[in-house]
Amino acid sequence: MNNIEEQLWNYLDGSCSPQEQEAIAHLIATDKTYRQKYEEIQAFNQELEAIELDAPAMAFTYNVMEAIRTEEASKPLKAAIDSRIIKAIAAFFILSIIALLGVALATTNWSSGTTESVQIPVNFELPAIKNYFSGPALKGFLFFDVVLALFLFDGYLRKRSVQSV
Amino acid sequence: MQSKLSDIDLIEQTLAGNQAAYADLVKRHQRFVFTLAMRFTKTREDAEEVAQDAFIKAYRNLQAFQGQSKFTTWLYSIVYTTAMTFLRKRRLDTSSIDDENNFIQVENQNAGFENNLAENKSRSFYLNQAIEQLSADDATIITLFYKGEQSLEEIAITLGIEPNNVKVKLFRARQRLKEKLERNLKHEVNELI
Repeated sequence: MNNIEEQLWNYLDGSCSPQEQEAIAHLIATDKTYRQKYEEIQAFNQELEAIELDAPAMAFTYNVMEAIRTEEASKPLKAAIDSRIIKAIAAFFILSIIALLGVALATTNWSSGTTESVQIPVNFELPAIKNYFSGPALKGFLFFDVVLALFLFDGYLRKRSVQSV
Repeated sequence: MQSKLSDIDLIEQTLAGNQAAYADLVKRHQRFVFTLAMRFTKTREDAEEVAQDAFIKAYRNLQAFQGQSKFTTWLYSIVYTTAMTFLRKRRLDTSSIDDENNFIQVENQNAGFENNLAENKSRSFYLNQAIEQLSADDATIITLFYKGEQSLEEIAITLGIEPNNVKVKLFRARQRLKEKLERNLKHEVNELI
């Protein structure tokens, strides 16, 4: 019985070969069982074709477009600005710096200066750096580092928990 | 004038920056997209959420639409994946109260069935009721075939399966729908007697 139904559905859907189509049409015309089943299936098919679609709320289109507009407006400035503008600004600054350097180098009189003109004091001493890394200053520095590390770690954990949700 | 434009024309206008063209596309397809979403979610609120998400995703990815298939085929595949993701997320979120929800749903269905006994309902009412009782896959395939103007090949693209599988699934879905419809009608007749 199932086989007949399957054949008839394929016939109705037009998803069988022309030979099968012809054979089934012949069976419908000559065989009472086929004809009855075919009429039953055809009626059911017509009912299915007449199913009505559900309608969303009246404001559905407005809500969709509003959501799109909000999303567009909240795009970060970086994404909203055309990257070509950023590249053009960068190129302008690079060219300006190169031009300034070129002018500076071209107008420098390289022969006027001698190394003898630089006078380094005879008893010049570098400051004692180790003084800065001892006592309360070092403790304060380490304390600040620990607080900063904890703050960053807390931020990282919060971000991870938000992502996992 | 706008309504005579094809989907492709509206997409081109949207890509050129005309958001009103996309609003026209939404208006044109919202009923089918919503119905398709309803087949999965079973409630209007959730279906609206899924349908809205699908349209927003389609807007975001409109440039990726190559035009090799119908716009509707592409759109319905977005609805399908959005609905599946929604259901998966919902299952994870409410797994502990799932049984309770199902119970309430069945109760409501029965209550609706009993309350409407006195009304003279059309056969299409029972057909819609039977579709609601089908699994999401069965209901989707029937909706896509009968209301989505999709061929078996296009449905295969939307659902990501082989066209032959679609043929078999459609046949089985129609069988199950017929059984459910007959059972519901029989139940109705028994109640009246």
